[in-house]
Amino acid sequence: MNLTHLSLTNYRNFTRFDIDVPGGVLLLVGPNAQGKTSLLEAIYFLAIFTAFHAEHDRQVIHFGASQEPLAVARIVAEFEKAGRRHRLEVRIIQDNQGLNGSRLRKEVLLDGVPRKIQDVFRLFNAVLFLPQMLRIIEGSPEERRRYLNLALAQVHPDYAANLSLYSQTLTRRNALLKQLYERSGDPAQLSYWDEQLARAGAYLIQARIQAVHELERHAASIHLELTRSKEVFRLVYQPAFDPLPRPDNQISLPMETPIDRSNLAYEMIFQRFLRALEANRAEEIARGVTTIGPHRDELRFLANGVDLGSFGSRGQIRTAMLSMKLAEVAWMKARTGHWPVLLLDEVLAELDLERRADLLARLEGVEQALLTTTDLNLFSDDFVRQASVWQILHGRLESSQEPQPGSIR
Amino acid sequence: MQLPEPVQKLIDAFSRLPGIGPKTASRLAFYLLRTTDDTAPALAEALQALKANTSLCRVCFNITLSDREICEICDDPRRDRSVICVVEEPLDVFALERTGGYSGLYHVLHGVLSPIEGIGVDDLRIQELLDRLKENVTEIILATNPSMEGDATAMYLGRRLAGSKVRVTRLARGLPVGGDLEYADQNTLKRALDGRQTLERG
Ligand SMILES: Nc1ncnc2c1ncn2[C@@H]1O[C@H](COP(=O)(O)OP(=O)(O)OP(=O)(O)O)[C@@H](O)[C@H]1O
Ligand SMILES: [Mg+2]
Ligand SMILES: [Zn+2]
Repeated sequence: MNLTHLSLTNYRNFTRFDIDVPGGVLLLVGPNAQGKTSLLEAIYFLAIFTAFHAEHDRQVIHFGASQEPLAVARIVAEFEKAGRRHRLEVRIIQDNQGLNGSRLRKEVLLDGVPRKIQDVFRLFNAVLFLPQMLRIIEGSPEERRRYLNLALAQVHPDYAANLSLYSQTLTRRNALLKQLYERSGDPAQLSYWDEQLARAGAYLIQARIQAVHELERHAASIHLELTRSKEVFRLVYQPAFDPLPRPDNQISLPMETPIDRSNLAYEMIFQRFLRALEANRAEEIARGVTTIGPHRDELRFLANGVDLGSFGSRGQIRTAMLSMKLAEVAWMKARTGHWPVLLLDEVLAELDLERRADLLARLEGVEQALLTTTDLNLFSDDFVRQASVWQILHGRLESSQEPQPGSIR
Repeated sequence: MQLPEPVQKLIDAFSRLPGIGPKTASRLAFYLLRTTDDTAPALAEALQALKANTSLCRVCFNITLSDREICEICDDPRRDRSVICVVEEPLDVFALERTGGYSGLYHVLHGVLSPIEGIGVDDLRIQELLDRLKENVTEIILATNPSMEGDATAMYLGRRLAGSKVRVTRLARGLPVGGDLEYADQNTLKRALDGRQTLERG
């Protein structure tokens, strides 16, 4: 798919921005604090309907506008997918008029018609890399689950719905566990929530098993290329509830041992999860919290058998994250039939020359990629010549340059 | 400057009502302050009578006039005493009665099992429902709202009733999920009632 036109109003430091977007590789160049990352964040908003880079979506509304009675940031994109043209509009609206403080809401219009977010999810696909995303590997397990969720919600039709059902059920189940502990009461009240949790949870587990399995395949081969065969990459899914029973005499397996869960049927995962919840009931009431399930899942990144989260070097982690992101692109293409728009922020920094060249070579196959940089010299002359280049200054397009004649594209 | 206490008190009282924010509460209070006709006294009288002149039916816990122990429905010899329809709130009884398609009795739970609001089995009229099974009841219709909590309550009751001889049915899903029984139109309700299904016994 191809983003063909982008218009921003009061989004971060872009008060007014309206321009056609070229296909192929587009380089966004400019000094610090000009709006390069914000532009990528705005485009990614159309894929996940939230600002990845913000703690709260209200932060994206331009400072100057955010005090008005009705403050609105607007993203409008035209794009082409499967031979069809669409216009997707997102409005982030902060209503400061209410007596009970300000309220934020989001409106989405597809081809001019208001739609629910869940109905337009998966229409615009994008993969974003930010340097801050190294946190996915180094940070808390929550970051890794969020990462999986965002990737999966863009690909699996019912993932977002099941995730929301799961978390709503989890909140209620935990409240009930606490209530049973503090005030006692009939534990049979748990049955309904057990079943709901296991139904939605089994879907998440199965989707994650599949996705991790497929992402690992893509990422391992890309990583081998990016590291010139020096590192064997592995992605290991560690479900907090493991639908695969452990071999009898084995308490825990070493992480490197490959475990194949990809053939487990949904119904079997559901039944086993449900039984595990029932078996843990007494303990969970005593602790007042649900101790197993996808909300506690772990994901690990290994290079040559070493856990990068604990032992990776900066460059190693960065390369692994890039392998993952490129793997996501290939995976989405394989799963949905369309290339996602690739958004890479400061991607070359901290990579040695060899890795830079290998990374840029990998972008050849992608339909559309936007890369930011403060320094065009990080890229080879050849690469720059074949790309479109935008100079970004103060939330505006200062100048633009089309691919040079003689280029392949 | 602070508002005079009587005004502030009324605003606070209105604000505690569901669906009324502080803005609406003040508008109502000042409206009543301004009126010279009998709107305010009539309202005060109605409010007082509401609690003084109503009580709960001893059998089904629907609201009834305070001079009777048993509500009109429970008291009506023409009603079919073998069927009990279990609902969340008294308003649901009136919604179902409007359809004219049901001739059995009711049981009002006065809420649903809600972990978040901390409402458990003992906070609802569940034991009272189980006690009524002695009275030759052959069918229980679970008509809680199709929300997560409504479903949880229905499933819990279904399991509690599983050992008895009564047939347990659940209102069919003609109802929009997340919708309230009291707002459903009559046809939808009637269809839901006709298409009720036996609850699987877990
Ligand atoms: N809501 C907002 N309203 C106005 N300006 C904002 C808002 N949010 C962020 N900014 C500003 O927008 C500018 C652009 O930020 P951005 O991160 O996009 O810059 P960048 O070009 O990626 O810079 P760098 O090269 O340092 O990464 C920053 O000065 C930032 O403070
Ligand atoms: Mg930046
Ligand atoms: Zn009665």
